[in-house]
Amino acid sequence: MSPVDAAATNVGAGNWKGLGMWAWLLFRIAGIVLVVYLFAHIGVISSARWSGHSTLNSAFTLFDHPLFVLLDLLLVWAVLFHALNGVRILLMDFGLGIHRHKAVFVVCMLVAVVSLGFFAFKAFSYIAAHHAGGLGGLV
Amino acid sequence: MNAQVVESPPQAPRQPATGKDHPPTTGRMSASVIDQSSGGMWGWLLQRVTAVVLIVGLLTHLVATHIFNLGRLSFLNIDHRLASTFFVVIDVSLLAAAIFHGLNGARMIVLDYWLESRASRRALSIALWVFGSATFVYGMWALWPWISR
Repeated sequence: MSPVDAAATNVGAGNWKGLGMWAWLLFRIAGIVLVVYLFAHIGVISSARWSGHSTLNSAFTLFDHPLFVLLDLLLVWAVLFHALNGVRILLMDFGLGIHRHKAVFVVCMLVAVVSLGFFAFKAFSYIAAHHAGGLGGLV
Repeated sequence: MNAQVVESPPQAPRQPATGKDHPPTTGRMSASVIDQSSGGMWGWLLQRVTAVVLIVGLLTHLVATHIFNLGRLSFLNIDHRLASTFFVVIDVSLLAAAIFHGLNGARMIVLDYWLESRASRRALSIALWVFGSATFVYGMWALWPWISR
């Protein structure tokens, strides 16, 4: 084995345990969700170009349904988790907080949870104001 | 008594470590595999540059549409928002950065599990650049009625 290979033999050995594994796994899952959403989003917005303003407006009406508002909230969580864990990765790349990376992760997640709180407040007050009479009536 | 003499196997002469002609390292990652799966310097750098663009742009995008709630979402609402150059810049840079960041992220996942050969990795990169560029052009075409007034 060359010295280069010998140095790399144990790379990844400690990856599959603890907080770092969950951060990595959720980061990936959120990333996949976001890339799927990106293309769905481009598809929806471009519908105005294919079949006119009314198609886009009726899509927006559909998205006002509480089910979609809750899915939106899930999406906001994917954005916040991916973005704040990404901030942690950027800090690591600059060599900041490497020896306290768990504390950095916890602080990032606190920021994510507090931000999610704002969006959740907005989402639930929207549902309460517009769908107080019940949750039926998709489309 | 038959004293058995156990001959030790002849020692292979020590090979000088040249860094070339690695022995097959089955069951563990060789340094060259780890290096290849990192996806290259430009992918790494652009992934971080677009990450910063996305953090700033998405924050603006989400806060404008959902927290400050500049009107209920509709064709006309987007029309009002994209009347300002600021939001045109935000939306167009979001489109470009998100397409690159998303597709390069998908590429990183693929490289972690599949595509060992250099040629197949190159083919994937070219395919993703073509697909991503086409998506950007399509996205600009979709935004054009709002931008071009």
